[in-house]
Amino acid sequence: MRIEALNGIAGRFLIALMALMAVGIGLAKADPVRGGTLNSTLWPEPPGLIIGINLNAPTLLPATKIFEGLLTYDFNLNPEPMLAKSWEVSKDGLIYTFHLRHNVKWHDGAPFTSKDVVFSLTKFIPEVHSRSRATFKRVQVTAPDDYTVVVTLKEPYGPLLRSFDAISAPIVPAHIYEGTNYRDNPANRHPIGTGPFKFDEWKPGQYIHLVRNDDYYIKGEPYLDDIYYRFIPDSASRALALESGQVQLATQNDLELVDVKRLNSNPSLKVTTKGWEWGSPISWLEMNIRRKPFDDVRFRKAVMYALDRNFIRDTIFFGFAKVATGPIHSSSPFYTDDVTKYAYDPAKAKALLDEMGLKPDADGVRVKIGLLGLPYGEMWDRLSQYIKQALGAVGVEVTLQPSDVAGWGNRIANWDVDMSTTYLTTLSDPALGVARTYLTDNQKKGVLFTNTSGYSNPEVDKLFAEAASLPDQDKRKALYDKAQKILTDQVALAWLVELQWPTVYSAKLKNVVINGLGPNGNFASAYFEK
Amino acid sequence: MRGLLRRFAENPAATAGLIMLAAILFAALTASFFFPGDPMAPRGAPLLPPDGRFPFGTDMLGRDVLAGVFHGARVSLLIGFLSAIVSVLIGVVVGAAAGFFDGAVDDVLVRVTEFFQTIPSFIFAILLVAILTPGVTSIIVAIAVVTWPPIARLARTEFMALRSRQFVEAAVLAGVPRLRIISREILPNAVTPLIVMGSLLVATAILTESSLSFLGLGDPNHISWGYMIGSSRTVFRQAWWLSVFPGCAIVLTVLAINLVGEGLNDALNPHLKGRVKFES
Amino acid sequence: MRVAGFLLQWIVKALAVVLAITILNFFLLRLAPGDPAMVMAGEAGSADQTFLDQVRHEYGLDKPLPAQLAIYVEKVFTINLGESYRFHRPVAAMLLERLPATLLLTGTAYAFALILGPLLGALAAMRPRSLLDRAISVLSLFFYATPIFWIGLLLILLFSVRLGWLPPFGMHGFIPPDGLLAQALDTLQHLLLPAFTLGLFYIAVYIRLTRASMLETAGLEYVKTARAKGLPEWRVATAHILRTALLPIITFAGLQAGQLVGGALVVETVFAWPGIGRLAFDALFQRDYNLLLGVFLLSSLMVVFFNMLTDVVLRLADPRVGARA
Repeated sequence: MRIEALNGIAGRFLIALMALMAVGIGLAKADPVRGGTLNSTLWPEPPGLIIGINLNAPTLLPATKIFEGLLTYDFNLNPEPMLAKSWEVSKDGLIYTFHLRHNVKWHDGAPFTSKDVVFSLTKFIPEVHSRSRATFKRVQVTAPDDYTVVVTLKEPYGPLLRSFDAISAPIVPAHIYEGTNYRDNPANRHPIGTGPFKFDEWKPGQYIHLVRNDDYYIKGEPYLDDIYYRFIPDSASRALALESGQVQLATQNDLELVDVKRLNSNPSLKVTTKGWEWGSPISWLEMNIRRKPFDDVRFRKAVMYALDRNFIRDTIFFGFAKVATGPIHSSSPFYTDDVTKYAYDPAKAKALLDEMGLKPDADGVRVKIGLLGLPYGEMWDRLSQYIKQALGAVGVEVTLQPSDVAGWGNRIANWDVDMSTTYLTTLSDPALGVARTYLTDNQKKGVLFTNTSGYSNPEVDKLFAEAASLPDQDKRKALYDKAQKILTDQVALAWLVELQWPTVYSAKLKNVVINGLGPNGNFASAYFEK
Repeated sequence: MRGLLRRFAENPAATAGLIMLAAILFAALTASFFFPGDPMAPRGAPLLPPDGRFPFGTDMLGRDVLAGVFHGARVSLLIGFLSAIVSVLIGVVVGAAAGFFDGAVDDVLVRVTEFFQTIPSFIFAILLVAILTPGVTSIIVAIAVVTWPPIARLARTEFMALRSRQFVEAAVLAGVPRLRIISREILPNAVTPLIVMGSLLVATAILTESSLSFLGLGDPNHISWGYMIGSSRTVFRQAWWLSVFPGCAIVLTVLAINLVGEGLNDALNPHLKGRVKFES
Repeated sequence: MRVAGFLLQWIVKALAVVLAITILNFFLLRLAPGDPAMVMAGEAGSADQTFLDQVRHEYGLDKPLPAQLAIYVEKVFTINLGESYRFHRPVAAMLLERLPATLLLTGTAYAFALILGPLLGALAAMRPRSLLDRAISVLSLFFYATPIFWIGLLLILLFSVRLGWLPPFGMHGFIPPDGLLAQALDTLQHLLLPAFTLGLFYIAVYIRLTRASMLETAGLEYVKTARAKGLPEWRVATAHILRTALLPIITFAGLQAGQLVGGALVVETVFAWPGIGRLAFDALFQRDYNLLLGVFLLSSLMVVFFNMLTDVVLRLADPRVGARA
């Protein structure tokens, strides 16, 4: 029902009634209760628990319960308080002032102060955090007193306010890390943070155990007694463990989507695809524009027309995906759908290839190319198989090039590839997660997740640069809209689908996915309904 | 020769194996006739259970499993036979050299053979396929590299035994070049046990290929039985037909080859009936 | 003196194997495209040149290859297998953690095969061409021709999915029960399917080996003599035939035992069993060089050890072996 369509007294009355009902439902809901153990799956076993030194997904899931950031973000990626209880941004967008909470203690009992924040933002993150290093090298950080932190920019930087969550800017204890070799610090094996859960034990090959932080700064929280992250190496087994109630939470790539579809109908389980807004992953088919025939935009368009992305969404991703229209994720405030679109149309693809002069030979083959598929298991293999078939149908013969993660990364990073599939998190702001794939000066041979396709357009470079340096959101959006239009028109990449990572959890477990960080939130308010 | 055929035909197990093998070869040869086009292309809705239209059902992309089983016979047999041939070639060359030239050459070659037998063979095969990147060629190379040592040992023993025979000693004394002696005089006499062992190797190779493919190290451009099982592992609980039919094809093929190999063994060595060489 | 000489010979052999394995695998691993830094960047979904340089420097991957090899070999001979790149833990500790699981799995499968295999094989050989012989032979032929992983999948389908009798994966329940006995029972439950799966293949081998060996021995002169002397058939079978027929079985068992780790890999994968084989497989794809080299060394040493053991057993069982060698 569309509320804005309701006019007049009747409409207002109805709205009032609905509001009352909402309150009633709220009251009828039981208050959160203390107690209970949460068992979650975690796979693969992470290399460590210090965010920044490791950024693997299985590091982040448990570590975000131990470490916190100054801020967290709601589903629309608007900032919310965490270690900072409030903040101001100066009109010119150059000075950010954070007011810290007073009653926060590290897990070893030491008090948390602005000294820890200054250390984390100016020393720790620039040294170890490959993703946020560039952002925090732009800023100066000072602490006028124990509970105030001032972050100063030389020129405005739009994405800064979206860079203070526990993943982008984890706050680590200065009294433990300052002056040490961060990577060898013994505390890395027994992390000490400020979060609602404390590290207790890591049993290699079995589980990571976190226990309730009794000194947490929000009275009464957390509600859970402890959390086990259990390493279960086989996805079918993980699904089984959820069904039998042995674990109550699984997310991201833990489950095969075919299993999620089945679990979705289980009344004792809930499935949501919210909670990955901070990551906003998009999968795409990358073409090496340095090579023929990919340098011809007609070929790239033909590829777009030849792929039925609804089929990819429904059959390969079992509906847990959304057809991507371009470089920016549809959940981003900077997204526009006013872009050049490519509906499935093999005839058009063939016409474009004909126009290029790529005529089919006796076997119907116009051109032969290789595809280096993302080596992340059966689902991605099926995507490669589908692309091979779909392009084959318009006369583009594809040879699949199997590899493993190391070989795949090596070839893409060194531009030694025709086409490849991948997915990448586009992160909370286009300046952080999108621009890196298209900027001319980010073509860095040997480094993965840079502009590896070789796309280059001075106009797009300018739009991205300008948009990053403006504080005003509306002006930024106008620039990004333009960039999206150009990029889709030129098919810089063949965007396939936005991935919707499902989080599957016990129906009794409440407050799991409450903001844009979702399962990477700190779980302070999560509880089991009795 | 006639005696050989007669002995073989008198062995019901070997005959049964030969018939099965012929059927599988027939499937491999007629795959394109009965199932024209790319067996990897979708033909129907995904995950259809076996019915009249798709007697073996369809897989997760809607591909016909029966077509896959037919076409898969080609790759599985190809890999089986080629890797056995390569393995026998390596083994014979090494073993013949060791057995014919004694002294230092023999010593070194025996050590090398022993060394290769010390490396855990399956893990070594996985490593080789990963390094060479998965594909039909790399799988054949990997299987050959890990299976040749027993062949070499057998060849060495045969050659050492034959070398001391009078007709060889006579040839050496007559100044016939060594290579010529090996290829003209010794090899034809040593060939029988090598054929038997090589035929059993075909079976081992098919099993190894299926395990490699199951672990995700198959060639995605060519459908094989192991690939079919491995690529549908996540749904094997819901869609039994995806693993059961290709699995049966593997069992029948390997069984047939083993039966034929043993039949050959019995027919060639009527005195040593039942004695079988085992390979791991 | 003879014992000392024997031991010395094997120790020299073991050292040579260690060195050769290390060098061969060291270079093979480096041939694989990509390195640990690339894997870590790939898993993190983020990278910059600084990150790649840091990782490569930390692991000494920026040194020339011969220098890296020299460092590694030196470490191995001071019994230090180094640290796992991925987990930042000593490789030796990680191997020791996983070894019991693999030994339990393969040991059980092996014991099972070494008892049932020769037993069935002997039964079949007692009455050649009887119905029993044929049934056993057909059974062993089928087991011998079946891919291990496929049997595993079918057993899971039957016993876990259909019947719900046995757990389909892992080595323990989630929450281990109290008491040693209860825990042992829990592990036993988890062990049954994977051990049976792995054991089937070996059973097939031993059935066939025993049967063939016994039939061959039965035709020998001294057995005929024993029969002619009027000894009861079962005495002939056990005291004369089986004893001799066991020799090839021991030889083969020794050869096989060394290959335990490789054979277990597939079963460990199917049943999510936390053993060494699976560890090696994951280490390969994470380019965790030290960890993988550690697994290779350990399993190769096991091969050498079991070969030595076989040698000893054969000498004890059949004095002629020693004299011949």
